[in-house]
Amino acid sequence: MPLSRMTCTDCGADLAFDSHRAKKGPGGKELCPYVGRLYPDLRAAHDLIYFGKWRRMDATTVDIRRAYHQIERHLKAIGEVLATKDLPAAMRDFGKAVEAFQAGDPKGDSPDALRYMDHALSYAHTVIDDLLHEEGNPPHDPMEFSEWYDAVEVPFKEEW
Amino acid sequence: MITLERYPREITLRDGARLTLRPMVREDADRLWDFFRRIPPEDKMYFREDVGRKEVVERWAENLEYNSVLPVLALEGDCVVGDATLHRNRSGWKQRVGTIRIQIAPVFRHRGLGTAMIREMRHLGEKAALHYLLVEAIEKQQPAIRAFEKMGFERVGLYRNFVNDQEGRFHNLVVLLYSMGDSGQATLSFPP
Repeated sequence: MPLSRMTCTDCGADLAFDSHRAKKGPGGKELCPYVGRLYPDLRAAHDLIYFGKWRRMDATTVDIRRAYHQIERHLKAIGEVLATKDLPAAMRDFGKAVEAFQAGDPKGDSPDALRYMDHALSYAHTVIDDLLHEEGNPPHDPMEFSEWYDAVEVPFKEEW
Repeated sequence: MITLERYPREITLRDGARLTLRPMVREDADRLWDFFRRIPPEDKMYFREDVGRKEVVERWAENLEYNSVLPVLALEGDCVVGDATLHRNRSGWKQRVGTIRIQIAPVFRHRGLGTAMIREMRHLGEKAALHYLLVEAIEKQQPAIRAFEKMGFERVGLYRNFVNDQEGRFHNLVVLLYSMGDSGQATLSFPP
């Protein structure tokens, strides 16, 4: 079945979904699944990368480069949020994400680039969970949102 | 001196369970005793003290001194479901090293409470200006070890047949360390 697409104007989530199954608002319009959650933009940006083509076996160089730039933008957005908080442990996790990101530039054809990119995304996820914990919220679970992405498979998990 | 203004604080687990985190007070002796009674015997074998004796728990409650041992309880309603303690030396060569111990009620395991308690201990360690947090675990306690590693703790040592349980059997001891020497500030700049 062809998937419908939507970009949420609130959080920027770029979604691909089965319109028959999607939850709809009063006007019959599909409701973004991140709306009403804390840090919706960070969650959506994480999941877009998490379910991205770069993680598939048939990913192209372009898919991987695109993902690398998405991770960069994602980390910048997290950094902006962290700058307003006094959370040294989260800042330390963020430092590890940036370190992995810098080591994972796929431009150099490093065989470890994908692994470092995955590490960067995993640490970014940890920072989002750090932020959520501070607000008393449960950790973010991307699988809860998987049906909103054109994700057939996630070939490798976050734990390495 | 750690400021405890953040307590009591509410947390929600992934499955929607709502818990309260707060430091233990003297009146918690019975609640904590009840919590330890619900810990399976095989887990109690690894405890440093015999928590099967109520007077042990009562002694802890009577001698609370947060600057040395700060116990943070997770409560569901009035029932203790998790206990994390931060142990510190107020002077001497290990005054910048904190030791963490965490115990979770069986029905709350694999639900994210352990990780939430680790996050809480990391936060308190930062606020106490510690340089390291240290955890000791029996090698068999793999889920706990993985949770600590996921939160940035690194395995720094393995002592073979180093500790014995209450039945006299020896076990390997894993030592994990979380370094708080710098907060990663130096790595925050992106390339142009």
